[in-house]
Amino acid sequence: MSTEYGIALGMIETRGLVPAIEAADAMTKAAEVRLVSREFVGGGYVTILVRGETGAVNAAVRAGADACERVGDGLVAAHIIARPHNEVESIITK
Amino acid sequence: MSTEYGIALGMIETRGLVPAIEAADAMTKSAEVRLVSREFVGGGYVTVMVRGETGAVNAAVRAGADACERVGDGLVAAHIIARPHNEVEPVLTATGNTAGRS
Repeated sequence: MSTEYGIALGMIETRGLVPAIEAADAMTKAAEVRLVSREFVGGGYVTILVRGETGAVNAAVRAGADACERVGDGLVAAHIIARPHNEVESIITK
Repeated sequence: MSTEYGIALGMIETRGLVPAIEAADAMTKSAEVRLVSREFVGGGYVTVMVRGETGAVNAAVRAGADACERVGDGLVAAHIIARPHNEVEPVLTATGNTAGRS
């Protein structure tokens, strides 16, 4: 399913929803990536997952991390996995 | 059920989802283990559990703990149980916040 628009996975985790939305906006505007999920992890943590080509995901995550740093309580983690293992697919899509 | 692919249990708990996914990826890539669950514990804690042969689980948990230490708020706990008691099995997948195979 996710291979339709690239296999690489980009993740941005923030403290609070507002920086997460800002990051999601910056990511989708910066490069050709799809938002695949938004998770309320608990404790105020919100995680945004995007997928796309590795280069696009890389650019998107950098832009997203930059954008959300200045908003609210800001960034917790920004990370990219170029080719997630098949087993991992089961935990990134509910 | 879980015995199809080894009985040993490996657990990694992190603060936040991103290090948990990184740990899960590192674990499955480093050894022959299966992800059996991902659980939102609350308070931002996320736990991923793997099963497999004891040696594989050991290698996987070490690799996973190493990988996720550098990501976000990082690692809380990494632990292995070589042979969980039968009574423990239902506890591993009992809650509703679970995703993955059970």
